[in-house]
Amino acid sequence: MPPISLNVNGRSIDVDADPQTPLLWLLRDELGLTGTKFGCGRGFCGACTVHVDGVATRSCTLTTERAAGRRITTIEGLAATNGGALHPVQQAWLEHDVPQCGYCQAGQIMTAASLLNRTARPSESDVATAMNGHICRCGTYIRIREALQRAAQLRAGSDDTGGDAS
Amino acid sequence: MRTRRDVLEDAKRGVIVAPMEQDGAARSAHATTTRRDFIAAGLAATGGLIVFVRSDALAAEPHGPFQGRAGFPREYVQVDPDGGVLIWSAQPEMGEGTRTSLPMIVAEELDADWARVRIDDAPMDPKYGGQGVGGSDAIRSDWDRLRRVGATARALLVAAAAAEWRVPPGECETTPHTVHHRSSGRSAGYGTLAAAAAMLQVPPDVALKDPTAYRLVGTRRAGSDNLKIVTGAPLYGIDVRIPGMKYAAIAKCPVFAGRPRRVDAAAARRVPGVRDIVEIPGLDNPTFLMPGVAVVADTTWAAFRGRDALVVEWDEGPYAQESDATLTTQFNQILAAPPATLHNSGRVDDALAGAARVIDNTFSFPFVSHVTLEPHNCTAEFRDGHLYLRGPMQMPTNARGIVARATTLPPDRIHVQATRIGGGFGRRLMSDYAAEAGYVAMTIGGAVMVVDNREGDLQHDYYRPASLQRVRAGVDAAGRLVAWDHIVASCSRNAYRKDPRAPHSTEVYGCMVGAVQTVAQMDPDLKPMRIPNVRLRFGAPLTGVPTGAWRAPAHVANAFAIETTIDELAAAVGRSAVDLRLEVLGETADIPRAGNERSPYDPARMRAVLIAAAERGRYAEPAPEGRARGIAMHETFGSYCAQVVELSVAAGRNGQRVVTIHRVTSVADVGQMVNPGTLEAQTQGGIIDGLGAAFYGSVPIVNGRAVPRNFGDYRMIRFREAPLAIDAHFLPSRAHPTGFGEPPLPPVAPAVANAIARLTGVRIRSMPFIRAGFVLG
Repeated sequence: MPPISLNVNGRSIDVDADPQTPLLWLLRDELGLTGTKFGCGRGFCGACTVHVDGVATRSCTLTTERAAGRRITTIEGLAATNGGALHPVQQAWLEHDVPQCGYCQAGQIMTAASLLNRTARPSESDVATAMNGHICRCGTYIRIREALQRAAQLRAGSDDTGGDAS
Repeated sequence: MRTRRDVLEDAKRGVIVAPMEQDGAARSAHATTTRRDFIAAGLAATGGLIVFVRSDALAAEPHGPFQGRAGFPREYVQVDPDGGVLIWSAQPEMGEGTRTSLPMIVAEELDADWARVRIDDAPMDPKYGGQGVGGSDAIRSDWDRLRRVGATARALLVAAAAAEWRVPPGECETTPHTVHHRSSGRSAGYGTLAAAAAMLQVPPDVALKDPTAYRLVGTRRAGSDNLKIVTGAPLYGIDVRIPGMKYAAIAKCPVFAGRPRRVDAAAARRVPGVRDIVEIPGLDNPTFLMPGVAVVADTTWAAFRGRDALVVEWDEGPYAQESDATLTTQFNQILAAPPATLHNSGRVDDALAGAARVIDNTFSFPFVSHVTLEPHNCTAEFRDGHLYLRGPMQMPTNARGIVARATTLPPDRIHVQATRIGGGFGRRLMSDYAAEAGYVAMTIGGAVMVVDNREGDLQHDYYRPASLQRVRAGVDAAGRLVAWDHIVASCSRNAYRKDPRAPHSTEVYGCMVGAVQTVAQMDPDLKPMRIPNVRLRFGAPLTGVPTGAWRAPAHVANAFAIETTIDELAAAVGRSAVDLRLEVLGETADIPRAGNERSPYDPARMRAVLIAAAERGRYAEPAPEGRARGIAMHETFGSYCAQVVELSVAAGRNGQRVVTIHRVTSVADVGQMVNPGTLEAQTQGGIIDGLGAAFYGSVPIVNGRAVPRNFGDYRMIRFREAPLAIDAHFLPSRAHPTGFGEPPLPPVAPAVANAIARLTGVRIRSMPFIRAGFVLG
């Protein structure tokens, strides 16, 4: 098999892998990027969400082949898309003490960041549509709702360039 | 009868009579025990002060892993010369905030500056062995000991300063991280005093702070791992990586209690990356180690694909014909002739016959899965004759014992380190995953992570027991509750795991009984009520379905039956549902007390919580147009909670009725609050979990197997369905603190059902509510 070229968190990487391997497992088991979590393997829960060309995408159902050549950002690389400082979503998650067990939060944060990168002032309905694809087993939904609004405020205050930051 | 406390004490010491229950929540700090904790201090490797707790019983326990050791330090605080404070808390963290709340207690008494506190979850020196305790009610059990540790460290620092200044220690005081002698104007930071403090004798008794002086306890503090969580740092069991490690997925018989008969692994071995096949015979107790076939591979994905390619002929065992229907038949037989009478006061049959009004309700509850979002996993490395385990272990000491059984290694060659846990809810009280990892690692002679996918997790859980219950209750002509006849037919966790205790003891938590005269008569899990005629009966079916504790075990089902029946009775006789509850709750004096043993249950606290919830939730006022309010209360493991739910119901698709929860007002008494931020989070999370399980949670059984495969057919509550508002209130109290990981769950489902009944006239008597056509909106 020829190596597959990936761009992960700004680094170009050639990997020897079965092209059908879900990106999730390549990230976790081959590249050591364990921040992206395995929850269901079928796209139901959102724990494995990464950005592909800036758009929140389930890495458990995206094959490595289809990820090739695209810009992949994982939770470990999110701050780098914000100039190295925590992304406003990460900052708001800290301010609102969102995590309980914390296992789903990387995926929640990636979707929230993708939403804000495209919609600076999301409506309640935008937020519900984006976040409903995620399961938080601990039930942090209320703090996620609050933190997401705070993140939008932070982002408006700190970043007036708009556009796709990832 | 062995009490839950006995078992908890055993579990803490590493005795594995039975795997530990979630009922750690009921662990009591004053439990009668021969164990003696004592506090010691010394010089830390950093040149600072270290203060820790030793327990002599751990060393003496013949079944424990630490025999022969001169005491096992269970937690400590270390003050470094640079002023840094390190606190190690031995309790596992699953999202309930222990890794923040417990260190807060130590830091409070130490009078430490929280910003300079680091928290570690591992012993600094491997000679200490590993973490030794578990249980879900960390604060309740550890409150006294953690305060003493912090206060001892503070006293030593004060003594060191006083010696240096040649002043009496009693003239010194502290502000965070600093000792002062006001009259001479001298002060010194903790770091500069640490080395001198390490040379001093530990005082036999130290004064604890007056609660009015608390600076940290009672204030909101964010989770200590939050930064790591939001940046994706490795924290969880599934993130453990060891160079050269393998990944293994285990095929288990889809029929409960079955085992492999013949294995054809040829196709599995052809899957790229698959390295080995390991047959696991299992142990006689399936809560320790289930039989199966492990496929060992270079990556998780290869292990899953290899497992899919296995061809296994299964011996399906004795339960292949079991289904919901066969269980219901057994449940109905138990309701018709209950085998065990647990309580019988007054003359229930006569009272029911003479009652002015009788309600006769049957309630059914399905099996429910834990579905922790971090799937089943554990990593083990076999090296130089020793096994090193790392994983999401709630019960590290039990895990060591169970791994010893599974591998026949002596416990002193098994080293366990717990990681942060991606959700527990009761599932991680079992240590089967540790046994699997240990067994496979030893067989292949290397490092391996045993990991399962969501399908395997749903098919091989230890489910919340299904039950069928009947409550007959009667009121007299004045509307007073005079008769209560409750039959619980429930799968028994004790029966499943071959626990010698009676099968009912884990399944009747929170049930009502009548008057009891002595403490000895009072099971701490039953609630004496002021009802003159009460009977409680129980029976368990024979089943192959694995069962275990699920968050607020048994309380959720029992509170639903009790709290909806009381509500229905009140409505039937035109009385306030609050007044009727207050009448039957009785007074503190109704509960016998002995010596200095605190009562596990105080009706006065439940009354205060109920009254406050009714007021704050405006239960007695008319709800806005199109909405209704419902109320319910319950005491779980020492914490009291009542909730008022305000909801509306709209027509949905396919004839479903869509319930919008506008507000949940929760009032609780947890004694002294430690971290209000965590208490609020647990209120929100517990209510949302309770709603999700009530509306959707169900694992049907067909042909001896669990039906659900993944979140596509095991529905979870989602973002859009969460209540629009949750108000979390806590009554001010200086009482001994109790936990809140579980207590917010039991009241919410009956409060919702009671509100739905008020609004629509429909009385829901079965979970999941979706079967009655109700979904969340």
